[in-house]
Amino acid sequence: MLKQKTLEQTKAAARRNKGGRSAAFYNNPEIRALGYQLLLVLGLGYFFYSVISNVLANMEATGIKTGFGFLTASAGYDVLMSLIPFEATDTYGRIFIVGFLNTILVSVIGIFFATVLGFIFGVAHFSHNWLIRKVAVLYVEIFRNIPLLLQVFFWYFAVLATLPSARQSLSLGEAIFLNVRGLYVPKMVGSDLFWVAEVALAVAIAGIFVLRRWAKRRQALTGQIFPVFYTSIAMVIGLPVAALLLTGLPFTVEYPELRGFNYFGGITIIPELMALAIALSVYTGSFIAEAVRAGVQSIPQGQTEAARSLGLSEKRIMSLIIVPQAMRVIVPLLNSEYQSLVKNSTLAAAIGYPDLFNVFVGTALNQTGQAIETIFMTIVVYFIVNMVISFLMNRLNNAVALVSR
Amino acid sequence: MREFQPVPARPAPVKTVGPVAWARANLFSSIPNSMMTLFVMALFVYFIPPIVDWAFLSANWTGTTEDACVRDGACWVFVKAWSYQFFYGTYPEEEVWRINLMLGLLVLVIAASFTLPKHIRLKASVAAWLLLPLVGIAVLDGRLLGLNQVTTDLWGGFTLNVFMAAASIIVAFPFSFLWALGRRSEMPFIRSVSIIFIEFFRGVPVLSLFFMGSVMLPLFFAEGTNVDKLIRVWIVLIFFMSGYMAEVFRGGFQAVPSGQYEAADSIGLSYWQKILLIILPQVIKVSMPNILATFVMLFKNTTFLLIIGIPEVVQTLQTALSNSYWLGGHALEGYLFVFLVFWSSCFSMSLLARRIERQMNTDKRG
Repeated sequence: MLKQKTLEQTKAAARRNKGGRSAAFYNNPEIRALGYQLLLVLGLGYFFYSVISNVLANMEATGIKTGFGFLTASAGYDVLMSLIPFEATDTYGRIFIVGFLNTILVSVIGIFFATVLGFIFGVAHFSHNWLIRKVAVLYVEIFRNIPLLLQVFFWYFAVLATLPSARQSLSLGEAIFLNVRGLYVPKMVGSDLFWVAEVALAVAIAGIFVLRRWAKRRQALTGQIFPVFYTSIAMVIGLPVAALLLTGLPFTVEYPELRGFNYFGGITIIPELMALAIALSVYTGSFIAEAVRAGVQSIPQGQTEAARSLGLSEKRIMSLIIVPQAMRVIVPLLNSEYQSLVKNSTLAAAIGYPDLFNVFVGTALNQTGQAIETIFMTIVVYFIVNMVISFLMNRLNNAVALVSR
Repeated sequence: MREFQPVPARPAPVKTVGPVAWARANLFSSIPNSMMTLFVMALFVYFIPPIVDWAFLSANWTGTTEDACVRDGACWVFVKAWSYQFFYGTYPEEEVWRINLMLGLLVLVIAASFTLPKHIRLKASVAAWLLLPLVGIAVLDGRLLGLNQVTTDLWGGFTLNVFMAAASIIVAFPFSFLWALGRRSEMPFIRSVSIIFIEFFRGVPVLSLFFMGSVMLPLFFAEGTNVDKLIRVWIVLIFFMSGYMAEVFRGGFQAVPSGQYEAADSIGLSYWQKILLIILPQVIKVSMPNILATFVMLFKNTTFLLIIGIPEVVQTLQTALSNSYWLGGHALEGYLFVFLVFWSSCFSMSLLARRIERQMNTDKRG
């Protein structure tokens, strides 16, 4: 039987070689690949053709204008909050910028506080203190598992909306006021010599980098450790304050004042911004805490033990051994968390914070009816912002990546 | 001769065992640690009694109207009075058995895909899963089965969140699998189309997708076609979900050792036999925790449907809060209730994901 089989196989091989005939052309993988892709091209082509022709027909039927001409038209509505001067007669183009800046503002605030919260609770997970560990777990498990929208509403409707009215504001030293209309903080208004203090601050920040390099070189040469961190803090606070004192305090502080039913002057933080920023920070912070925990957990125990046996202090083990290695795991996770924070900031539309999405896809779309243009412009902005975040985080990632020799 | 009698061991010193020692080691090991412990305890002591008092001791539990809330604690009567709407929206009460039936079927199918006999499990459960959304639409709408029609604007509440999430992930499953295969494909055009699709739906805020579904999608259909709003949102959710799931599957594909592909090739399986019989079961197994995590995200995101006016549970809550018979400010009670409902479902799913992950890791740890 074995023999017969071999015989048959040789026969088959001979048959195949006989006329030099290759397999049928439709069994050729290259031609098949070409065919599949051609099918996809045709399918997509038909899909886009029918969509576009439907869109054009529908637009004509409903009389919607096309193109970006509306950007230069007057918008005719005011926005709740704007970082640049804005009036109702300004154009849709300007509203776009106002919304964009508001989105950036809430995203930056959110990213900052989410990172702080995330690192505090992520590290707290490894505390020697049982109670602190449990608090960290509680924070992560509660806020990660509740929809963000609910959290935004909770802060806005159940917490901030129950604050006292302007006349019964909560106040801190008669300078900071908190009421149902928002948070009012004093503003520093600089006069002619104020620039000296600003220059001093810039010098202090530049000085930190010089100091770090010097301290590193000194340590390499002599082994002595210089307290860079505390010196840096002293410089950043001390230099501008000294400059202000030397130039004779060239600024006035504008305190919020109660006039009629509301506070005026100073800086006003509207409750919409507060609710959104708090919710975004707390929600994303819980995810970042998980990322930090995963990062620290990924480092083998041997690293800590080796560092201890070298005689490093617990603080220096953390800053020199654990954190730099954990950052390799943490940074890519941070990247996606930051991106989803920016995307989630569109929830502003739910409570009326005038971010890009709300003023553009919300109001502008409603007024002009140009759904495709407004949604397209907004999406492109979110793409670009996320690409910038991704680029910066990849730079950071390269900086912390393992240098393999 | 006297036999050797060992002296019974002395008990360990009090300092090293028992609650006192535990507290010394875990709560008061150093001065800063003790300060933190005391600080957190002080916070608890300060905040917990008033919360317990508000939520339980002086809360109002009985009654049907706002007037029943006479004590100054929480007014749980509000939640009780609206609980039907929170769960079922405005679905007619005499037809509500259909929703319950579908919930039962959902549970049944989940249970079946873990417990059916092995030789029919895969085929039967795949068929059941894919039929489920169709059966769901037929039952909930009712026209096809000769029941009274319940139009989609009456669907709502928490069950709508569950159904939207479940129906989207089920349909997204095969699509995302195809997109993941496309992304790994060696054909340049198919690969780039897949990458663009996946990155688009992952990179765009969900809310803008929902707006596309509600305002832009009607423009895409031929004039005169009127597709139901819920269906449009469903389509958008499927696309959104298949973008995310495709990435999950890509991770799964990468986790399957290349020896598996080569072995399948060497025994002469065709491409689809190789993918469906050898690779896919392993991919699904290793991606299970991530699939669950993605599902939790989708489930949480179904609350965003409120923005385009779909009466899911949060929208129902907002309606209840602005009802003229219930203007006494019950926001806290309402939000806490919906928190609890979402939190318990999401938390149990993440626990399940963690358990599956631990089960899978056993071979690596040993």
